[in-house]
Amino acid sequence: MSKSPIVLTGASLTIDALMRVAHGAPIALGEEARTEMQRSSQWLSEHGPASILAQKMGWLSGSEVGADDDALVVPFIQSHCAGVGKPLSDLVVRALIAARANVLATGLTGCRPAVADVLIRAVNENRTPVVPSQGSVGAAGSAALAHMVDGLFFDDCDVVLRGSEALALINGSTLATVLGAFAVHRSHRCLNMAIAATALTMEVVRADTAALSIQPMGARSDAAEAVAMALLDQLSGSTMVAQGRRPDPFSIRCAPAVIGTARSAVSAAEAVIRKDLNAANVNPLVRVDAQRVDEVGNFHGAEVAFVMDALKIALTTLASMSERRTFRLTYGQLSGLPSFLVRGTGLNSGLMIAQYTAASLVSECKVLSHPASVDAIPTVQHQEDHVSMAPIAARGALRILDALSEVLSIELICGAQGLDFRLEGTAVEDDGVVHTVAPLTAGKGTMVSYRFVRGVVARWVEDRALMPDLHAMAEAARVCGPSESPKNALPW
Amino acid sequence: MCAWYGDCVESSHAIRRLFVGVVTPLTLRVGRQHEVTLEQISLDGASLDFTDVWDVAVNHRQLSLCPVAREKMARSRAWVLQAAAGEVIDENGDAMPVYGVNTGYGSLARVRIPKEQITQLSMNLIRSHAAGVGEVATEAVTRATMLLRANALAKGSSGCNIEIVTTLIAMLNAGVTPEIPLQGSVGSSGDLAPLSHLGLVVFDDGTPGDSGWASFNGTRLKGDVAMQKAGIPRIVPGPKDGLAMTNGAQLTTAITALTVVEGAALVLTAEIATALSVEALKGVSRAFHPAVHVLRPYPGAQQTASNLCALMVGSTLVDSIPEKVQDAYSLRCTPMVLGAVRDGLKFGASQVAVELNAATDNPLILMDEPGPNHAFSAGLFHGEAVGLAADHIKLVLSEAAALSERRLYRLTTGSLSALLPPLLVGVDQPGMGMMVPQTTAAALVSENRSLCWPSSADSIPTCEDQEDLVAMSTTAARRAAEVLKNSRQVIAIELMAAVTALRVRCDEGHTLGAGSAAAYALLSPLTDARTPSEVLSRIDAVIVSGALNKCVREAVPVLEVADV
Repeated sequence: MSKSPIVLTGASLTIDALMRVAHGAPIALGEEARTEMQRSSQWLSEHGPASILAQKMGWLSGSEVGADDDALVVPFIQSHCAGVGKPLSDLVVRALIAARANVLATGLTGCRPAVADVLIRAVNENRTPVVPSQGSVGAAGSAALAHMVDGLFFDDCDVVLRGSEALALINGSTLATVLGAFAVHRSHRCLNMAIAATALTMEVVRADTAALSIQPMGARSDAAEAVAMALLDQLSGSTMVAQGRRPDPFSIRCAPAVIGTARSAVSAAEAVIRKDLNAANVNPLVRVDAQRVDEVGNFHGAEVAFVMDALKIALTTLASMSERRTFRLTYGQLSGLPSFLVRGTGLNSGLMIAQYTAASLVSECKVLSHPASVDAIPTVQHQEDHVSMAPIAARGALRILDALSEVLSIELICGAQGLDFRLEGTAVEDDGVVHTVAPLTAGKGTMVSYRFVRGVVARWVEDRALMPDLHAMAEAARVCGPSESPKNALPW
Repeated sequence: MCAWYGDCVESSHAIRRLFVGVVTPLTLRVGRQHEVTLEQISLDGASLDFTDVWDVAVNHRQLSLCPVAREKMARSRAWVLQAAAGEVIDENGDAMPVYGVNTGYGSLARVRIPKEQITQLSMNLIRSHAAGVGEVATEAVTRATMLLRANALAKGSSGCNIEIVTTLIAMLNAGVTPEIPLQGSVGSSGDLAPLSHLGLVVFDDGTPGDSGWASFNGTRLKGDVAMQKAGIPRIVPGPKDGLAMTNGAQLTTAITALTVVEGAALVLTAEIATALSVEALKGVSRAFHPAVHVLRPYPGAQQTASNLCALMVGSTLVDSIPEKVQDAYSLRCTPMVLGAVRDGLKFGASQVAVELNAATDNPLILMDEPGPNHAFSAGLFHGEAVGLAADHIKLVLSEAAALSERRLYRLTTGSLSALLPPLLVGVDQPGMGMMVPQTTAAALVSENRSLCWPSSADSIPTCEDQEDLVAMSTTAARRAAEVLKNSRQVIAIELMAAVTALRVRCDEGHTLGAGSAAAYALLSPLTDARTPSEVLSRIDAVIVSGALNKCVREAVPVLEVADV
């Protein structure tokens, strides 16, 4: 490994660092964390309950378990391997292993450092067990983590797990936290895309920037103000937009408020995920300083579930508003440009169906926005009688992000197509006749976005298959994480 | 997405009984290498049923075009060619405008297209509408989509080139499967984008352009290469051919039809799972007595109750606790819930059944109506009818799983299970027994609940406000398929737990009912695996293949009657 590893301390793992790990960065266990783990595992083996796993299994099943911990580890883990559905991607599995190792690194689980070392080696040697994506309720014993343990500890592994370690490895909602980390990371990319797309559309429809400049003075929301500033920055130098025209429709005028609010939702999610990545998301909690082993509820994923559900709504709203702007761009009477942004309409349908695709995706997002966390189904004999459904919320957010980046890509394609007309001086009068007018200048920021789009997608002159364009834009937008080459880096 | 794979003799039988009412012996091949002994289906635009759709989609049953349909198609085609040539005159003596034949599309209908550009008009439509995104449809879904499009055109009211239908038939017979991205259709004007991706492979106007992708003999090829290798000529699109290929909600209908077929089979599987659970929990059978269900005579409830009784005939477990007068809802009310699922599926199926044989094109060319204008612009492409059905189907399939999960909870909860081992932890098998599988089921049920939010309730105006209320039916259908798959996994988990519980009861010396015994004999050997995940994938396989329903129906032939 040429790169210096990301050090797991149990306290300092960031979402960015986790994304780098997912994309191949190596990890290592911090020295202090190693010492702390050593201390707590030693204390636990000397002073903790004799058969902590047998005791726990007895509580859950409601009857005494005859065997001792050593004999129970494998059946305990394997009986938890009940996931179904498509396997998680290797990226997610790498992040999952690393994030769980970081939980162990808190020193509050009673695991030996050797256990964390197995996880760390798996990441560094890029061994990714098959972990099914469905079947986790985001509380206590996690099927996903059990599949991870089953894949890493039982074949060719020199570490024989203790009962307490089996519990510590799988008792937590880390899957939801990790999926949430991916969602937050991708949300940032989409927020920036949304600002770029909005600015591009504002140029094309020759928006009134008064709403942007009033925003800071109105001081309704810091987040909205920040978005308004970012939009003004994009539009700087433009002769297409101006102040004091007639008020724009809401999908343009209120964009700072909506994108700003979405940004707040992302920040809220980010704070929770960042915290949870470095939390003792585990049960039981082993505290050497207090000389205690406590049964706690730290594994419950409610916090992650709530912010992911809120994030879904925020992202869907971004998509919904973007689609309305695409609708305007493609609507001749509303844009002052040729219908569907192509000359020779009639024979050419231009970008007509791009807007349908966006509409369909937005509608799909609405269904996926239904909150997961409002549901709870009792499990495990009345004992685990309220669960978080956090992994379902986080998976939903990722599905919405897939759609959102497509919807924003469509707005960017339509925006660039409209800008071409403005740059060359094409306009359509109310009678539908195409006129040549003085060419206009776009803002510096919008021109960067424009050139990026044109680097990926050619101008639409005559009808062609749209899917390759959508695919190319979405791929360019999907490129995320540290592995992206500068060539593909997005300007926003 | 849901995978429709393997042969599914069982489902075909079930659907034939459920919705067609005729039982005919079928000999379907197992895998592609074996002989097909089914006769060809002659497409006539009027008589396709669910069995046909399944057989063509999954079992590669061969097709031909009915000669009568061909004649009808020729008649409307001749008129369209006349209109395109400007030979159909309106009252002012001008060439009559016919939507999509010599005008632009959607809100661009206001634009007239000169006749020398009519081929380009069709080709441009296909190209510019190929705007799908996301995962590609499975082979079965794509084949069903192609079949349904061909059948809609075979009705003869589209005025399209007959070769579109014969080419689709040739592609189906030879196994050329275009790639259709699943996302991006609003289901109004039909599934425009998905069907355009099909059109990219079918049409070729000689100009360079994207020919899409298709698989042929297991290889992914460019569309033109796949067609060449299969020896099927591509078609130069003539007037209206682009519209004829794309105007209709066939992807919606294909997914929904396959979901109905599998869903109908899954209801029987759910009844089998119920019987196993009721026996394992030593339930009370009086709630299923026919005399009860005559009094609230929902057909589905009567069927379910009657099936449950038949499945448990001869059991020494049911009614074996004398002091127990009634069970919890998840047992006692199964006829009410699964019966409503049956009735709901039947409603969905009745909608889809209409759509299987519907014209969905616009404009329609109606040669029996007086001329000179035989073109009727209408909205038969709108997906609402199937979309609402798909939304209902996903709801009922979700409820089937929700009920199943609650029985599973009772099986695994010591205080609710009539003294079964808590969590069904085996005496000689340490571990947590069925604790986590029940959690998995809870997660799947919860996931279904989110997915059940109806797509049809939403609409977003498209096409410059011309298409101002759209169906979102494609999304509804895709969610229904997703819910089906989740529900199937939940029922597989109930089966796994019930079999584990019944092993205890058999050790106590009990005898199972006739149907339960057959299911137990098939499933019990599958439960010996390293992890619950492995057991579940085995059980899922016998559900999907139809083996489970088949073996139980052989043991309890009366189920066939009850199922009609």
